[in-house]
Amino acid sequence: MLNIRQINKHTGYNFAFLDENTKREIRRKTLKAVAIPGYQVPFASPELPIARGWGTGGLQVTMSIIGKDDILKVIDQGCDGGVNAVNIRNLLTKTTGVRTTFDTQAATIIQTRHRVPEEPLREDQILVLQVPIPEPLRYVEASTGKAQEMHAEMDYSRMWVFLYENIVKWGEITIGSRYPSLVNGRYLIDPSPIPRWDVPKLNMADTLFLFGAGREKRIYAVPPHTRVEPMEFEDHRFRVEDFTGRACVRCGSTDTYMNEIHDGSSGNKLYVCSDSSYCDKVRSRREDDLDGGK
Amino acid sequence: MVASKQMALTVRGLDKIYGTGCPQCFNLTGPAYETNICSECGTLVACHDISLDLEHGEILGIVGESGSGKSTLVRCLYFDEEASGGESYLAAYRDGKVNLFAETAQRKRHIRNHLMGMVYQNPLLGIKPHFTAGGNVAEKLLTAGFYNFADIRSRAGSLLSRTEVPLARMDDFPAHFSGGMQQRVQIAKALSNNPPLLFLDEITTGLDLSVQARVLDLVKEIQRELGIAMLVVSHDLGVIRMLADRTAVMKNGRMVEIGLTDQILEDPQHQYTQLLVHSML
Repeated sequence: MLNIRQINKHTGYNFAFLDENTKREIRRKTLKAVAIPGYQVPFASPELPIARGWGTGGLQVTMSIIGKDDILKVIDQGCDGGVNAVNIRNLLTKTTGVRTTFDTQAATIIQTRHRVPEEPLREDQILVLQVPIPEPLRYVEASTGKAQEMHAEMDYSRMWVFLYENIVKWGEITIGSRYPSLVNGRYLIDPSPIPRWDVPKLNMADTLFLFGAGREKRIYAVPPHTRVEPMEFEDHRFRVEDFTGRACVRCGSTDTYMNEIHDGSSGNKLYVCSDSSYCDKVRSRREDDLDGGK
Repeated sequence: MVASKQMALTVRGLDKIYGTGCPQCFNLTGPAYETNICSECGTLVACHDISLDLEHGEILGIVGESGSGKSTLVRCLYFDEEASGGESYLAAYRDGKVNLFAETAQRKRHIRNHLMGMVYQNPLLGIKPHFTAGGNVAEKLLTAGFYNFADIRSRAGSLLSRTEVPLARMDDFPAHFSGGMQQRVQIAKALSNNPPLLFLDEITTGLDLSVQARVLDLVKEIQRELGIAMLVVSHDLGVIRMLADRTAVMKNGRMVEIGLTDQILEDPQHQYTQLLVHSML
């Protein structure tokens, strides 16, 4: 058992950097967030060695729930090698000594910025999302106090009018990421800047999703097997990004969320999987198949 | 108590005070004292012991001078302000068996959104200038549970043309509209959920005469065609004469007289009503 008074000599830090009282505060608020799906729970914590806005919300949640036996994966926009992911992974390994992985299926805790991995997650995994703006009503109501009243009374009419006017102006809903979604038929959440592609993955999933907003110090959660419904009109349904006719140049996948890259030499647009570890997996599987055929 | 079947709205003993209140508040205020501020504790008694019945499809006028409590009364009934005491029953809500003032904030919002409409003197209280005209009407429809874009759009369009807002301006912002046109957008919004009850608070004040006449015509037409019960607040007896079947007179937070509009205007009983009628130009 972990002795909370004992400082880990090896690292010079308390396990997972945070002091035990802060971890307890964040765990309690996380439990509350799980108990009230979609509700934003405020929490208290000291400053971190990473600036706010660089994933401190997700980081504090991860630090509070991580244990010695966990296997950690950190991604930034789907990529294990992003600067944000690398720094957060380094901080966590330095202060916890846990094993890390790039493989989505091998991880027990995945901290992510702006993506949900392509491979389906299991019930023994936790996805921790970094949230820049936790308040979905920020689009339409500048006052936090008023927004909280609107949540309390489940008054989301202004968000609806926002979508209505979007359709009037552009013929469709133009929200690309941070798509407002109703959790468990009650609270509207900002699912963090994940693309629309990832929103359906939150619905009735096997996994626990924890959302940490460091700047505004809010935690909210989508527990497993919970409804997450993107706002939509009966005749203007929510839809995900369309990659029809496009394939990843690295692995050939046609069923993933892809980034568009510009090839300077040929002037062509190329597409590549945003989830780098999934891309690597498919690519090596394909190479194995090719090798096997030789 | 249970509201009578014929009544759209029943109000009993409504009080609204601003301040700490003392046992003497209601005894030391009112028309007899020419004030609504309690001399003992300084509490403002905006409304005291207001009871009224509004029949289905009826227009009840409320007149009185500035500060007599008529707007506060309507704002309490629409839950903009919390009543200090009294009861209110709406036939359309649980057969008029539940006191609306005792409901939770969430239920009150539901009642407001589904069963009531409100038109304020200042259009910008009722509509949002940074939503389009159509968006404002859509807002009320969306709160009332319509989620079909095409339906919302066509209903907003028909309501706006009904209230003479040119369809070409449906997707413009009311901030760029004239006062009369903003008022008509507000009326379209208030009507959008087909409410059985509509509150009109000084809707023609501040509009020029020809626009006033058209707004009043519109209200009269709506009442005739849709049979909506309305509570019309005005300090303008001309408006009341044209719209209201019955009229209540308020003074210093009390209702001093209620009766048929003709009777109130031709044969006023209360001293204050006599003064009011005789002051008419």
